[in-house]
Amino acid sequence: MTNKIGASATSNAEELAHAMDTCARCGFCKSVCPTYPFGGGFEASSPRAKVHFLKENQEGRAELTPEWVDRLYRCTTCERCQAVCQTGIPLVHLWEKARAGMVEKGLGPMPAHKKLRAAAAEFGNPYGEPSSRQSQWLLPEHAPVERAEILIFGGCTASYRMPAMLQSGVTILTRLGIPYAYAGGEECCCASPLLRTGQLEAAQELISRNLDLFARKGATRIVTPCGGCSKTLKFDYPAWARKLGKPFDVEVLHFSEVYVSLIREGRLKPRTRVDRTVTFHDPCHVGRSQGLFDEPREILAAIPGVRLVEMAHCREESRCCGAGGGVKANYPEMAAQIARDRVSEAIETGADTLVTMCPFCQTSFSQAIGELQGTIQLMGLEQLLLESVGP
Amino acid sequence: MKTPEKELREALGTAVTFDPQILRTYDHDLGEMPGPLMAMIKHVPEVVVAARSVQDVTRAMAIAGSLRIPVTPRAQATSGYGGAIPCKGGMVLDVSGLDRVLAINAKEAIVDVEPGVVWEALSRTLAKAGLDNRVCPTSAPSSTVGGWFAMGGVGIGSLRYGSIRDNVIEIDVAGLDGRVTTYAGEQIEPFHQTCGTLGVITRLRLACRKAEAMRPASVWLPGADQVARFLAQAEAQLPVYSACLQSSGYCALRAEADGHAPAIAAGFLITLAAPEATLDEAELASLAQAHGGRVLGQAVASREWAERFYPMRIKKIGPSVLVGEFYIPLSGFAACIKAVQAALPRDVLGLEAFAVRNGSLAVLVYMLDDAGALLYPLRMGKAMIPLRLAQRHGGRVYASGMWFAAERRKLFGPDKFTAVARLKKRLDPHDLLNPGKTGGPGFPFLPFLSLSRLIVIGTAMIAPLSARLPYKRSKTF
Repeated sequence: MTNKIGASATSNAEELAHAMDTCARCGFCKSVCPTYPFGGGFEASSPRAKVHFLKENQEGRAELTPEWVDRLYRCTTCERCQAVCQTGIPLVHLWEKARAGMVEKGLGPMPAHKKLRAAAAEFGNPYGEPSSRQSQWLLPEHAPVERAEILIFGGCTASYRMPAMLQSGVTILTRLGIPYAYAGGEECCCASPLLRTGQLEAAQELISRNLDLFARKGATRIVTPCGGCSKTLKFDYPAWARKLGKPFDVEVLHFSEVYVSLIREGRLKPRTRVDRTVTFHDPCHVGRSQGLFDEPREILAAIPGVRLVEMAHCREESRCCGAGGGVKANYPEMAAQIARDRVSEAIETGADTLVTMCPFCQTSFSQAIGELQGTIQLMGLEQLLLESVGP
Repeated sequence: MKTPEKELREALGTAVTFDPQILRTYDHDLGEMPGPLMAMIKHVPEVVVAARSVQDVTRAMAIAGSLRIPVTPRAQATSGYGGAIPCKGGMVLDVSGLDRVLAINAKEAIVDVEPGVVWEALSRTLAKAGLDNRVCPTSAPSSTVGGWFAMGGVGIGSLRYGSIRDNVIEIDVAGLDGRVTTYAGEQIEPFHQTCGTLGVITRLRLACRKAEAMRPASVWLPGADQVARFLAQAEAQLPVYSACLQSSGYCALRAEADGHAPAIAAGFLITLAAPEATLDEAELASLAQAHGGRVLGQAVASREWAERFYPMRIKKIGPSVLVGEFYIPLSGFAACIKAVQAALPRDVLGLEAFAVRNGSLAVLVYMLDDAGALLYPLRMGKAMIPLRLAQRHGGRVYASGMWFAAERRKLFGPDKFTAVARLKKRLDPHDLLNPGKTGGPGFPFLPFLSLSRLIVIGTAMIAPLSARLPYKRSKTF
């Protein structure tokens, strides 16, 4: 009896089956996949082989083995494969559905992902931090109000691990006198790590709590510095809200979208010269997922003194930082090498500063720069902007 | 005594695998062949070597030679001719990991590469030295230099620079004795189009061109006659680097797949590319007008040029595509196309072609289908109709691989065919190197009939029936 991936996890199984049929087997995906090189050079680690396997499995010709489960989890969900796919197969959606199916069958997730789930269930965040520490990043000058049009969604990585972007971003809003609310201590993980690793049941609980929170706060705009959070809130939450029968009539914005609007409106005027040669890393879940390629460059162009030098792979072709899709948690060595490769590409540009706009990417690069003993400085776009906006 | 498995493991370490799950990922290429047909050959290898160095290749080859293990070389397997699919099990030697650019000589505009170097990546690397590929396939984002040379072919840039063969200066080939031999000039011809049946290529020296920004221009022409005359004159008069032709049927399929309006509603679309500032737009307009056509807006040209690596987008609405592929001289193009349209009146035909230096075209005729459908094996006969008709108008088969191995003599011509056969006997007397690609996989009890011959004959027989079986899409996603 063939061990098939659970079909019930795929609500639109027919569409996905058709998409798999359209695979041209051209291998464009293989050429860009950041994790393929870690498969010993064998075809089985390529996205096109995974599509072929999933089709074979669906049609009962291939067994879902622990090895295939492992291969299907070795994906950062960076979307490079689907960006180059000749037939536009929604590959990341396919991987996520497959993972959900494997979890449903008890064959997934991987051990580290189970720990994320356990921590999220107990603490509301995958880092296992007590919620009392969630608002520790707030600076004395920050002044969140109880209710406002804008609700700041800090996200777990920014709140607990890499707060600089979040702090800078909120400082800018504060200095511009733009009111914002913040639900420190009540905010749950957006559930991105659980959704990406197929743990839908656990994800549902977090999403449900967040949806209730958003309704309570009466926010019409949710603003976040995190690529993963903004992608999840924008694209996953509407469907979950419908499924759960909860309201979610809000606009989700990544910080870069807010700043670029403020710059265009003339409300945000970077004046102080920041003499830096920077290279910009497009976070996968901000760039390819949300199409925000021009916005960060427009912000950089508005900062006097900043000179942008692009990496060989930028915008739609940007390489991954290696952290997404549960890869950093379960395959830390692979994730670290992918991050080092990206940082090396940044160093090759001759830039003195590597700028990004996702705390998750920032965490990976921070570690990679240390390992490479690089002198390139790492900054969030928000930090750079704040330097120019001044007090 | 060591087993083959032990010997291979000791020699190649982690570069070798016997894992059945991995082996199965090497039993196919782009082509969607019916299961019963695949069941006639041993298409799953028994071992795969993912070579990471030339030494891996020579070690694997020496062991295969001494133990008489069939070896199927493979890079990215981006062809649908079966050239990289085993037919006797054995070893697949995956050289896609040999992907280093070894040396660039900017002054002489040449580059030495390993066989697994991907065309698009090579273009990026060459750009740093002010150079670029002279030619590349439309599968450039994934296909490799070695793979394209071993299969043979034309593509982007072929109007000015010819085929891949015309741009390879020197190659290194690993033989079954584990030694690497360098071939240059005319010596390399037998290794071109022969899918590694004479050895495994480990290095290629390519001629490059100066890197220049290209300006695309699109021209609409009303019919195939005008296309042939326009292209002949364009090659002679304009500084054109590349020319791609698409029928209105193809444009309609592409438009449906991409969700935009078709570039043209009837006739043909030719998208040319020429180095910026060299193309006289007035001259182009005058030439188009002389043939009853007109130059289209820059937006169309830019989109077509930007999409040049995405010919298979139409598969999105297939979900499968039958492809008939052939070379045809410009003089026979119009008559051939009329014959193809007459022979396949019930299908939407999408035609795409690349102009090749000295007045010919490499043509692809696409027909949507569904490889999972019951009638697919019968409808596959349609893919052979364009080639058969092209041959009546001076055309010939595009490549051989496994499925067209029986057509090798026509592809190579008698002189090359004889030379290859002679070399094969000397270098590979036991037919270990990519077996089944010389004349097609044989049948144990019918040695006079190969699978390739069976396909050629069988499809010719079912073609009239196939032509009466149009594919109707049941669902649009």
